[in-house]
Amino acid sequence: MPRALTYHRPASLDDALALLALEDHVPLGGGTILNADDDPTPVAMVDLQALDLGGITPDGDEVTIGATTSLQEIANDDRVPEVIRRAARAELPSTLRTLATLGGTVAAAGPDSLLFAALLVHEARVDSVGPDGKSDHALADRPVSSGGLVVSVSVATDGFSTHEGTGRTPADTPIVSATARRTDQRMLLALTGVADRPTLVDPNDPTASLDPVGDFRGSAGYRLHLAGVLAARVVTASGGGT
Amino acid sequence: MKITLELNGVSRTLECQVHESLFRVLRREGMVSVRFGSASGETGASAVLLDGRLASSEVILAAQAEGHSVTTVESLNTDSSLHPIQAAFAATGAMQSGYSTPAMVLGTLALLEADPDPDDETIRDMLSGILDRETAYVKPVAAVRQAASVLRGAEAEPFRPLITEAMTDGRNPVDVDPADPAPDAPSAVPRLVPSRDVPPTSVVGQPEVKVDALRLVKGNPAFTADFETRGLLHAKVLRSPHAHARITAIDDSAARALPGVHAVLHHGNVERIKYASGGQSYPNPKPYDQVSFDDKVRHVGDRVAAVAADTPEIAEEACRLIQVDYEVLPAVFDELEAGGEGAPVVHDEADTVDIADRENNLVHHIYAQRGDVDAALASAEKVYEQTFRVHQVQQCPIEPHISVAWLDSDERMVVRTATQVPFHTRRMLAPLIGMDIKDVRVIKPRIGGGFGVKQEMLIEDIVAHLAIATRRPVQLELTRAEEFYASRTRHPQTLTYRTGIDVDGNLVAQELRLVGNTGPYGTHGYTVQVVSGLRGLSSYNCDNKRFDCDVVYTNIPVPGAYRGYGGPQALFGLEAHMEDIALDLGVDPIDFRRRNWVKVGDEMNIAPHLGEQGTTEEVLDEYPRIASNGIEECVAQGARAIGWHRRLDSSWREPVERPNIRRGLGFAFCMHGTAIPFLDMGGCSIKLNDDGSFNMLVGATDLGTGADTVLGQIAAEVLGVPLNDIKVYSSDTDVTPFDTGAYASSTTYISGTAVKKAADVVRMRLKERAAMLLGIEAPCSIELRDRKAWAPDGRSVSLAEIALDSLHLNEQEQIMGTGSHVSPDCPPPFAAQFVELEVDIDTGQVTVVKMVMAVDCGVAINPITASGQVEGGMLQALGYAHCEEIVLDGDGTMVNPSFGPYPIYRADETPETEVFLVQTMEDSGPFGAKAVAEIPKDGVAPAVRNAILNATGARINELPFTPERVHRALHRT
Repeated sequence: MPRALTYHRPASLDDALALLALEDHVPLGGGTILNADDDPTPVAMVDLQALDLGGITPDGDEVTIGATTSLQEIANDDRVPEVIRRAARAELPSTLRTLATLGGTVAAAGPDSLLFAALLVHEARVDSVGPDGKSDHALADRPVSSGGLVVSVSVATDGFSTHEGTGRTPADTPIVSATARRTDQRMLLALTGVADRPTLVDPNDPTASLDPVGDFRGSAGYRLHLAGVLAARVVTASGGGT
Repeated sequence: MKITLELNGVSRTLECQVHESLFRVLRREGMVSVRFGSASGETGASAVLLDGRLASSEVILAAQAEGHSVTTVESLNTDSSLHPIQAAFAATGAMQSGYSTPAMVLGTLALLEADPDPDDETIRDMLSGILDRETAYVKPVAAVRQAASVLRGAEAEPFRPLITEAMTDGRNPVDVDPADPAPDAPSAVPRLVPSRDVPPTSVVGQPEVKVDALRLVKGNPAFTADFETRGLLHAKVLRSPHAHARITAIDDSAARALPGVHAVLHHGNVERIKYASGGQSYPNPKPYDQVSFDDKVRHVGDRVAAVAADTPEIAEEACRLIQVDYEVLPAVFDELEAGGEGAPVVHDEADTVDIADRENNLVHHIYAQRGDVDAALASAEKVYEQTFRVHQVQQCPIEPHISVAWLDSDERMVVRTATQVPFHTRRMLAPLIGMDIKDVRVIKPRIGGGFGVKQEMLIEDIVAHLAIATRRPVQLELTRAEEFYASRTRHPQTLTYRTGIDVDGNLVAQELRLVGNTGPYGTHGYTVQVVSGLRGLSSYNCDNKRFDCDVVYTNIPVPGAYRGYGGPQALFGLEAHMEDIALDLGVDPIDFRRRNWVKVGDEMNIAPHLGEQGTTEEVLDEYPRIASNGIEECVAQGARAIGWHRRLDSSWREPVERPNIRRGLGFAFCMHGTAIPFLDMGGCSIKLNDDGSFNMLVGATDLGTGADTVLGQIAAEVLGVPLNDIKVYSSDTDVTPFDTGAYASSTTYISGTAVKKAADVVRMRLKERAAMLLGIEAPCSIELRDRKAWAPDGRSVSLAEIALDSLHLNEQEQIMGTGSHVSPDCPPPFAAQFVELEVDIDTGQVTVVKMVMAVDCGVAINPITASGQVEGGMLQALGYAHCEEIVLDGDGTMVNPSFGPYPIYRADETPETEVFLVQTMEDSGPFGAKAVAEIPKDGVAPAVRNAILNATGARINELPFTPERVHRALHRT
């Protein structure tokens, strides 16, 4: 655990933002990222659990998921698009996904996050607040502004989505994965494992702009190869490119 | 700060620090069922129900739990009975060490409240966050299903093996009819193939519930960390950031000045006494190349200093305050480069002796030969040579190393520790701390998994030194990262097989050249490679054999003992090599092996030349021979269960509906050992109690394997009582008889025979006392059964009556017996390992679909615990083959020291497994038993390799079969 010097549980967004404006104050969602960090640098924890930011609310062709909704709650809710539910389940094992929150996952924007990729293809929009006020922006543009807090994420529920990944074992975080969604209007394709965070790519030329960094699980060249193979599969499964 | 929460249904206000985890606070409150696995929570051992949801308490700040409900397994322990979920886990053999069982019980509780009839996928998803290195999750899934059934109102079904009819006569092969259906039962149920050679028994051979089941399913105090010690200090170790460096200066003044610090130890203030840390029999194999704290570090994570402080956090902070100046030296990591020009000398200190060639980092050169290999190769019809590389992996017990040391009221040193070798630890520790053996006591409580990594005197010297320095109890528990890079691992090796074949397909010569990487210290370095030679050259008959091995120092994290010892490495190479020879010869791979594999009566012609204490070149007058071998039945059962006939069916191997998939089947022949002959020794004492029950003390070390249960069953069988009348205690060097410890697949065979001998002594005396009470002149005519001694005329006297008479009434005596055993024999268990898998030829991803192991372990004393050993061993072995790998960067730092980056199989991704227990009668073992613990580690890697070959034509001779490596091989092909 990081060295928590103080712990706050603000009851309002304004109070939370005021605390987070202070030096070394960090937001605490479920704790699976922050509390697992062994960095001894002292921090002040600002626990978001009392802000009433949880819950899943359908609205027409959209569903809005509160920031403190756990990944388990997302996985269990059949109002959420199937590919997002599956990604939430695959993101973490059972004893951690009950704690991990959507807001934390979005803010962390891990390069291998299947949930982030699934949100991208479902045209997620992030409702956040920060020092500069409220913001409603596309997740594809940025996860969350510096110093800001995710309030909720809204996703489109229409279309057909599919996913493919290659890992060392069936439940391993994929080295590279591809998630696609076809709607009446277009095809969206997101890849993990090929950039510093999950990224939307051109379904017709998915590897064109990629410059992945290799690691012990897969070299840069292999990742590029996987990106091409997996992208082609999900695009085909979704009915072809644009 | 204070927090208020509902703990197990009661509102509690608790004091805690801001930075403290819920895990820490719960432990402090006595909830010892909540157990440490890793600070990042990914093992799930610490899981609790937080508002009814299963969650790892290590990653929850205690403050976060304010206002919430927290449930632990202690909430179920309202009386002496078991909750139906706990009962189901006990009845199905769902726990081995039981370290994480409370978390599984809680997960089941939450799951069944939400879904009273979950399917297997749902159960496995629930278990996905609770890593289990022991059961392969097979029996835990069965436990959840049984619990669900009982909670829905059904009667609990007895959990028993499925008796399966033999397919062979035990010696000759049969053609397996593809239409013949395999036995149909859930995976968790072992298929037991009885032998007519095995006499009937009452307790032996029965699926008895483990003797430690109650304490484990209830989460009662059982493990090293579970026992409170007043005034406990916490230790942390400062570890080297360099792979190879000389310590030129240490300044510990700032650390010592930190409030709460009680001692700081390093090479400057701890006496330099040489030792070898491997927990092995006296005299420990040389060289003695370690000291408690050195002025040189030889791998990233090597010890530099140790601190004892009031809290772990203070100890950590003190470690950061120790100023160390290093002269960084070049390092070497690859065993093939260790002796090369310019390679640094890992041990240049003068006081390490018995290194074969110090300048070339050659620790040992091991050589053994039978016959004339060169001549035989020269005359062979064909000669095959192949080289294999095997990698470094970690044992990954969910309970990391933990030890607590204190001086007792007589100022003797007491060490409670998670060890497989309490007696070796006592003997090895004493000189390091300047005490006599008689003044050291080592207590082994339950252990949360070992797999060889705890066959080591690893941290006991640190806590003992600190206990002496502080005169306070001191505990050291390794972090998960330390467990990876600062405990022990499996030896990487480069193996080259060369085999000569005659015109009929018989082996005429077989040579194994091996370079073993023992890292910076020689612990187990000699014996692991010797076992590689032994295992790698024993499976097949051949008059001319040669083992030529170099063991070298490098700067990788330290290898040591790991379940299977050198066997898995050698059998990967051997069984891949034999497969390829068969295919080149155009013969069936099993038929080719069958032509050559050892059979009943065959000599084990190289085994005596490769001993723990050295090699011998002298040809012996007589060689040990195979006395029991059930491999033909194993092959038949396994082939039918896996559908072996499909391996040549192209329509199955290349499914048209999935064009990127290729399917394959693989086989490996496995032969392991049972104990180390003339060396492994076990002792036992048994005494009669007033009520006709018995206390049994054994030095044997139950790691969760079920050893205490199996040993109890042996005693119960001899004494004619139910298992519950045998109270087993293991092990405490002050109290229990000596035992070499839990390694080398020895416990059932060696310690079990010691138990049988001790029980025989007691049985004889019981019969004599019964004869006195019954007025019979021939005690030998009396039988013990059903807690009574029976005369031939049908009269009986109960053991309780005998006990009361002997303890209180007439010619008073304590009826008791002792026994010890060492064996000249090492009867091999045999097994047929089959694997079915799929390969994605576009990505290289391998998915193992099913594993079947049919094993001849003689008589399985307890078929449930035996099958659990096989299930868990196979899954561990699959990790070795498929995905696990310690990865070092260019400076020797491990880049993946946590679960996830280092993947071990989870419940939601395990392939289907089936276990067949093929009985044979091994006359030298107790009630016919041989070993079962290690053989499951031997065959999976080569079977996977051979299945990939069957599926794709790609020969991959390096582990693990990661997607990129497989893709590269496919591209090459």
